[in-house]
Amino acid sequence: MAEIDRRNFLKLVGVGAGAAAASGCSDIPQKLIPYVVQPEEITPGLAVTYASTCQECPAGCGLHVRTREGRPVKLEGNPDHPINRGSLCARGQAGIGRTYLPDRYPGPMLRQADGGYEPITWPEAHELLAKKVTAAGTRTRVLSGASGPTLSGLIARWVSAVGAGGNVVYEPFDYRVLQEASRAVFGIASQPRFDLGQADFIIDFGSDFLESWTSPPEHGRQFAEARAVSKPDGGARLVYVGPRLTLTAGNSDEWLPARPGTEGVLALGIARAALDEARATGASAPSLEQLDELLSGYGANSVSAITEVPAATIQRLGRTLARAARPVALPPGVALTSSRATATAAAVLVLNVVVGALGETLLVTPQVSTPGQVSSFQDVLSLVDAMQAGQVGVLLIHDANPVYSMPDDSGFAAALKRVDFVVSTASGPDETSESADLILPDHTPMESWGDSSPRPGVRSIVQPTIRPLQDTQAFGDTLIATAKAMGEATAAQLPSGSFRSVLEEAWSGTDFRAALAAGGVFQGDGIGGAAVLSANLAALDFAEPSLVGDGSFTLLPFPSPLLSDGRGANLPWLQETPDPVMKVAWQSWAEISHGAAETLGVEYGDVVSVKTPQGQVELPVVPRGGIRDDVIAIGIGQGHRVGFYASRADDGKPGQRGVSVISILPAATDETGSRAWLTAMASVRATGERRPVAKTQENDNKRGRKLGEAVSLAALAEAQETAHAGGGEAEGHGGGHEMLRPFDPADDSSEDSAYRWGMTIDLDRCNGCSACVVACSIENNVVNVGEELVLMDRQMHWLRIERFIGDGEADLETGRNLPRDNEELGNTDVRHSPMLCQQCGAAPCEPVCPVFATYHNQEGLNGMIYNRCIGTRYCSNNCPYKVRRYNWYDYAIENIHEPMNLMLNPDVTVRGQGVMEKCTFCVQRIENGRQLAKDEGRPIADGEVTPACAQTCPTQAITFGNLKDDQSRSVQRADKNAARSYHALHELNTRPSITYLAKVTRGTKGEG
Amino acid sequence: MTPPPADSVAAMIRPAPLRSDSKTNRDLLSVMQGAPLGYWLLLGTALLFMHIAGGIWVYQVYKGLGIAGYAHPVFWGVYIVTFVFWVGIAHAGTLISAILYLFRAKWRNAINRGAEAMTVFAVLTAAQFLGIHVGRMWKAYFILPYPNQRGLWVNFKSPLLWDTFAITTYATISILFLYVGLIPDLAIARDRATGWKKVLYTVLALGWQGSSGQWKAHNRSVLHLSGLATPLVLSVHSVVSWDFAVALVPGWHTTIFAPYFVAGAIFSGFAMVLTLMIPVRRIFGLEAYITDYHFENMSRFILLTSIIVGYAYAAEYFIAWYSGVEPEQTAFWLRAFGPYWISTWIMITCNGILPQLLWFKKLRTNVPFLFVLSVLINIGMWFERYVIIITGLSREYDPAVWGVYIPSWPEMGILAGSFGFFCTFFLIFLKLFPIVAIAEMKEISIHEKAHATEGVH
Repeated sequence: MAEIDRRNFLKLVGVGAGAAAASGCSDIPQKLIPYVVQPEEITPGLAVTYASTCQECPAGCGLHVRTREGRPVKLEGNPDHPINRGSLCARGQAGIGRTYLPDRYPGPMLRQADGGYEPITWPEAHELLAKKVTAAGTRTRVLSGASGPTLSGLIARWVSAVGAGGNVVYEPFDYRVLQEASRAVFGIASQPRFDLGQADFIIDFGSDFLESWTSPPEHGRQFAEARAVSKPDGGARLVYVGPRLTLTAGNSDEWLPARPGTEGVLALGIARAALDEARATGASAPSLEQLDELLSGYGANSVSAITEVPAATIQRLGRTLARAARPVALPPGVALTSSRATATAAAVLVLNVVVGALGETLLVTPQVSTPGQVSSFQDVLSLVDAMQAGQVGVLLIHDANPVYSMPDDSGFAAALKRVDFVVSTASGPDETSESADLILPDHTPMESWGDSSPRPGVRSIVQPTIRPLQDTQAFGDTLIATAKAMGEATAAQLPSGSFRSVLEEAWSGTDFRAALAAGGVFQGDGIGGAAVLSANLAALDFAEPSLVGDGSFTLLPFPSPLLSDGRGANLPWLQETPDPVMKVAWQSWAEISHGAAETLGVEYGDVVSVKTPQGQVELPVVPRGGIRDDVIAIGIGQGHRVGFYASRADDGKPGQRGVSVISILPAATDETGSRAWLTAMASVRATGERRPVAKTQENDNKRGRKLGEAVSLAALAEAQETAHAGGGEAEGHGGGHEMLRPFDPADDSSEDSAYRWGMTIDLDRCNGCSACVVACSIENNVVNVGEELVLMDRQMHWLRIERFIGDGEADLETGRNLPRDNEELGNTDVRHSPMLCQQCGAAPCEPVCPVFATYHNQEGLNGMIYNRCIGTRYCSNNCPYKVRRYNWYDYAIENIHEPMNLMLNPDVTVRGQGVMEKCTFCVQRIENGRQLAKDEGRPIADGEVTPACAQTCPTQAITFGNLKDDQSRSVQRADKNAARSYHALHELNTRPSITYLAKVTRGTKGEG
Repeated sequence: MTPPPADSVAAMIRPAPLRSDSKTNRDLLSVMQGAPLGYWLLLGTALLFMHIAGGIWVYQVYKGLGIAGYAHPVFWGVYIVTFVFWVGIAHAGTLISAILYLFRAKWRNAINRGAEAMTVFAVLTAAQFLGIHVGRMWKAYFILPYPNQRGLWVNFKSPLLWDTFAITTYATISILFLYVGLIPDLAIARDRATGWKKVLYTVLALGWQGSSGQWKAHNRSVLHLSGLATPLVLSVHSVVSWDFAVALVPGWHTTIFAPYFVAGAIFSGFAMVLTLMIPVRRIFGLEAYITDYHFENMSRFILLTSIIVGYAYAAEYFIAWYSGVEPEQTAFWLRAFGPYWISTWIMITCNGILPQLLWFKKLRTNVPFLFVLSVLINIGMWFERYVIIITGLSREYDPAVWGVYIPSWPEMGILAGSFGFFCTFFLIFLKLFPIVAIAEMKEISIHEKAHATEGVH
């Protein structure tokens, strides 16, 4: 070829591009190449959404996975899914990141003689495992987390096919206690459901249903529904029983800090009072008479002496519950499962029966027997004994991290060393997989097929949305392949195809394509089987639980709302999001009361040593008002040694992040063999050391400023009357804060524009769960800066949840170096207020920018042009809401570790070093909505555009819309609730586009 | 400040004996000749600091502003504090050169050159901090209203833009003022210099021959420049103060800021003149030209401005209390008793209380005391800006995001480096140009001689 002419040149380019595209199949593409053959359903630049199911907890929320060019970039709740109805919690939002974690295993690996790992191929791995399993025979055991019905079925078949010794299903937070209690009270061993949506009076004996118990987004939605202020008498009331002001307690109307462990006694005392009341009013059902004997010993006075709840309160609650139309009582959650957890839960079920909740708000579902049933903790401990005794030859660990989540006291880690051959299917390193001989990494949920059946009538599907990023294999396929390697006989007992075909077969009774599109098959919701009181209640002992150790503090390990049992710890979004209650990120802390702190001679940040007979941990103390004097509370979930973000590897430091309270707990069970957590007394002493605490909100005193407002029901009624009487101009509630210049946020956009974007945020619905914070971060490529920078308050969150206690007072001591909170026992006036850019009409940030990097756009948004920003940071100084965040370093390079860059939202600019950033009301979504509307030649419809925060909110606290459209839901909501609407810091006259609706404080005592 | 009556002009330079032109030339030019070891040590130290700061700055540009101690919500820190500090220092020069010139306060002649040089170098030092402070200094030129095809323009509403104009204008006028005043002296230096210095002075002296026409033009230029510079004395620091007053941060948003800042600037500027000229006089033996009388006059200025500044402190607190605005009251209470209480009390002590000692003539004429006091005032004035900027930002409207900023070592390094930069240039200036205005000193002696011969006033 003498010379290259145009045609030849193009041919060469074409061949080159084809070769590059082909090579892209085995490697992460490094060059941007247009599709040679464009997949039918993918248009570059347009998102494709797939339905799936969240695998972060057993609640089984439906997902819509938004993918861009083959990569999942954002999770949203599936609006048609009966569990979550479009919402998603913080953990669900962050779950997408598992796929992109930088420390995932690249492929199967085998431990070498020197202790290191060498990669092997999958066929080799199957052969090896087959050989080991064949040799071990019945000494083969499977330890797996709770998985979907299809995988559970396959595991069961595999266990029998290979002749293994059994499968133990282990979940650190299981709800067997509920099943056992249901068995005791109703004779039906199934997990009862509590329908809060229709309840009018809820008494929660420490379940923490808004943050960690069973199905938080669902409960959050139901609770918000029940509590709608438009309902008669201002909606449902919530009474919380528990030693600590949790997120749920902060959302209650009355908080009874009863002695931990005595919840059952209290429930019976209240049941006694309710029964008496029912008798007095002649409403008592004859069926309840059999409870008379049980309840006879629980007079208000004796219960009061045990629980430290005043007798009058017990009687009042009994009366109130007896008179309530649809009351419900919730049993304790993980934190309060004591050695009598089943009896306690049974007592709460009894209370439900007494107040007539059974069949109304308490639904006992029919007993089902599936292979995926969580084993009792006793069974897990038996497995440990077997391992210790050398009776386990091969241990296959799937979706569980027992080395971390089992107490050291159980001896699991030591017993694991006595197992000949440990196989882990963890997709990334954790404490357990570190001890494995063979690592067969599983796909992450985003890469997997699977299903989930969170409750009868709901079958939900998991489908892959990305080609596996690493050389991983679905656990189901590993099982099938291993069986094949073991020979014809074994293979014949298992399906021959892939795990996907197994799944399709399991779903063969349905239209699989339709199920994939819908996310599953959802048949009805109401499955309230008839249940009657069982006779064997007497078998339960309702006496106080016993605690080990002789310390002076009851050790209260509570599930972190974000990290859960520790599985969230490697997701940086969950680490970076401050705890919804204590506002601490990335760290462990111990909560004690101010009184206890004084006695111990410790202050905020002082490191204490917490010692139980099983061990001791050292961690900084955060004294607070909202905890009993005799309790020390430590969150579960931190204290990992392994994991890029879970340990301190992301900070480039060795060692574990925080401490794990599990390590000092006894391996204890309750009377039915379920795991017990409230089991230890701890002695606490100061160490003299002091550590900085990464607390993002140092002060909960709002000093009476116009932030996080609340209004009492009575004042609200009064304000509404005034408004109706013609005082319609009155803005806000309860005098004192009059508008200097009334304004209409709709005026603050260009006259030519049909839109002025705004929000209405109902603080009465916001429970502080922080799902919006994570949703915002992932949607908008907000980086996680890590512990050291959070200590300097440099977190980048565009949206934060502010937490205030009461109206606060302008006391001058607050604001000095040592923060002192305003919590106190029994005070539930906690306000959670999402704070994001208010998109002010008269924005203080705009005039001070010398280069117009921030400016007012036609539709009333405060635009932010990153490329124009030179970083004077004047805008942030002048922003009274302090919602602007600054890129102190080149976070895009330093903090987004490969391959996490693959999950960046391509619609949002990744900000560089030295520029300011802030909330834009998800302007990319507005633009997307505009394009669609423009194609159809119509204006953007109300509800068509929803920012990430509003979209994920379980309680629909945030409504986004066009303020120029009087019919938009946002405007309607603000108008209908005008009597409790306000603008944050309105005396500054910044004319925010966000209208807040004040939280309503409802009493529980008046209506009793 | 009332200028001394004309009949006491002779008293101004007492006790210096009458001098001949050539002696004056010789004395004052001798400063420029040779250099003792101490000078080289000083210059070396200054250069070292300057270069360390330069290194830190390069690292900061590479790594990001995160190496400074900024903590949300305090997004302005030591860099802006130091910027305001140096702009403040820059004030004394123009005040002495222009306003006192217009008032015919002849005692200024002995110190005006030093003050003007200080002004120029202080403005240049300050200007650098705008670049050091911004996050993307490589894009800092965006702040200039230059024509571009992208149709981008600057925001004339922003006080930072006003700052840019104020500083560049002030720098231009100060440099011109210094240069025009230097021309006759450059000619004197030219006539005595050899080698490369001869070339330098020849070029810079613009062919000055001392003809009456040239003197006339020179005097008119100085007069007009004084007229131009006078409003700048008031405007520059007023504009700088508006960076704060225009914002709605509690503790910033007050109408008193412009006069308060101007008084503070003059206060600190005079203190800095004392800090510089006392050692210069001592080292170069200029007691005959820069006398205690000059220092005393300057201490009177310092006393006056200290009272104004002290009044401003009191007024701020009073207004904060009287306003009834809770965030304002809280901000001020925390200023005095919050996390930054030390800074506040340093500021009040150094700027409001200690200068009151200058009511005593004994102390006004005690040069070592004046030197110590002037250094303390410089420290106090730096802390004044620190207090205003940091305490205001750390305790704003939303108590949920109150934060505490602690300056980092890189920031303090760059602060130290700014003194290095300033001193380097000042020391070089000392050796290249006459630090006392020779022509003006001679003018005084001519007047004096005339008075002495005539015996009348």
